Amino acid sequence: MSRELEQHLERLLRVPQASDEVERRALGLALAALPAPAGADRSRRLRVLLLAAAATLALLAVAAAALATAGALHVTLGTSSPGAPVLPRELHVPAGAKAVAAVVDGRLWLTTRSGLSIRGLPVQSATLSPHALYVAAGIGSSLVAMAPDGARAWSRAAGGPVVAIAWAPDGLRIAYVVRRAGRFQLRTVEGNGARDRLLDGNVRRVTPSWRADSLAVAYVGGGGRAVVYDFAHDSHRVVAGRPGAGAQQVAFAPEGTTLAIASARAVTLDGAGWTTPCEACDLAWTGSRLVAASSTKLALFRVTPDGRTTSLEPLAVSGRVEALDATESAIVVAVARPSGTRMLGAAAAGSGAHPPREVLLQLAATTPIDAVSVR
Amino acid sequence: MTFEQADDRTLVHAARAGDREAAGELFRRHWPAAWRTAYGVTGRRAMADDIAADAFERAFAALQRFDDRRPFVPWLHRIVVNRALDLLRAERRLVGGDPPPEPQDDRGLGSGGDRALLDAVNSLPLQRRVVVVLRYGIGMGPDEIAKVLDLPSGTVHSRLARALEQLRERFEMSDVQGA
Repeated sequence: MSRELEQHLERLLRVPQASDEVERRALGLALAALPAPAGADRSRRLRVLLLAAAATLALLAVAAAALATAGALHVTLGTSSPGAPVLPRELHVPAGAKAVAAVVDGRLWLTTRSGLSIRGLPVQSATLSPHALYVAAGIGSSLVAMAPDGARAWSRAAGGPVVAIAWAPDGLRIAYVVRRAGRFQLRTVEGNGARDRLLDGNVRRVTPSWRADSLAVAYVGGGGRAVVYDFAHDSHRVVAGRPGAGAQQVAFAPEGTTLAIASARAVTLDGAGWTTPCEACDLAWTGSRLVAASSTKLALFRVTPDGRTTSLEPLAVSGRVEALDATESAIVVAVARPSGTRMLGAAAAGSGAHPPREVLLQLAATTPIDAVSVR
Repeated sequence: MTFEQADDRTLVHAARAGDREAAGELFRRHWPAAWRTAYGVTGRRAMADDIAADAFERAFAALQRFDDRRPFVPWLHRIVVNRALDLLRAERRLVGGDPPPEPQDDRGLGSGGDRALLDAVNSLPLQRRVVVVLRYGIGMGPDEIAKVLDLPSGTVHSRLARALEQLRERFEMSDVQGA
């Protein structure tokens, strides 16, 4: 009987095989994780030695300067130059935020105020949950929720690459855009990974935006129209745009029901009759203020709950804005600078025309910042 | 240089020195079993895809720390199993209870008894289900399972025995019902 049972189990529990596509992708990730070859290690050691030598010279200079100040030594080391800023090599959390995440050249970088981090995890997309307790990411053909230290909470098959994700403000639902069979679908799943549901089988590759009450989500439909799906009534409502005109981004305000829509040439507020010219603008809200990022500046508008707007002093940006997100207290932008580098920077929100600014991450010009998420 | 005939230790040495061809051979040689182990533990394809890929990434990133006097495979499989169990436990914390494996393709099932036995395997506690799947689904011996799970061999034997006892009861019951 026992042998019979075992033979039965051997037959029943035959394990299938992974697909070739999964294997190919996994091989790429594994090879990318290989340690640098010994030659690179030697050159790193050489760089360390050079840095150590430079530090010693700097110490000598400081000592010489101290002696010179005291009148005991008159000496000059090299030419004088203004101090270059010390740029961070890690991702920093902006002042007033709990955490920041960025998808940099297809890899996730995340840092929390409490010191947790994820460095360089391959993803297609990522967004922080409310309060930054989790990060949802598109990995391979799965949607994955992880703690900010990288421990996975759950993972579910998405049936294709997940290219955009938005976590509802109440944390109970996630909307995501997945590419399946050559089309982008908008789907939702509960915050614990259960109950996946298709909302629209043909949408644009645009990050959805949740209304503050988490009962509606805005997205860009396949015809380029901004659409709001209302969970309370289980209904879709087209709010702006014409087929072909092309809404490019949607952003609900963090309070109330105001919805901002960016198209190729303008930003409008749904139902308020307000519009302002803005070329291919990115949108985000910082409290009751709408941030519209064009290629060279961040335009700011104060918006009242009934949709009245006041234009505020814009913030200049030293480069082309490539990604944007904001909280009540911080505006975070990814910028490609004319100097040939890319950076993630933050400006404190609500502190006048010249708010304190921070560099959160500095990168080479060839390293694109695909998305940013701040909480 | 071709690495097809090389043993794992040679491949690990070369991969450590940054040889991508050697690392690729190491991957191709052990990917199928790593994936099957991940699938065996989780019962879900998507999860197995992620876990096996993640395990190889971790293993390759940690090659410098790997003690090459030991065999590569049990070390890799231990990473796979630990990641799978971590993930399942995290999911259990969020969802409550052991998450069930995804439904198996019914085409291979011969009788109602097959379905009843599969259901019985799926309803085993996670620790017992894992040893059953590694033993009968992957074909590992008890000592191999002990190495992968980092457990004493006796614990694996006793888990297997208890699981089989539990399954036997269900199996016999379904036989009686099916008769």
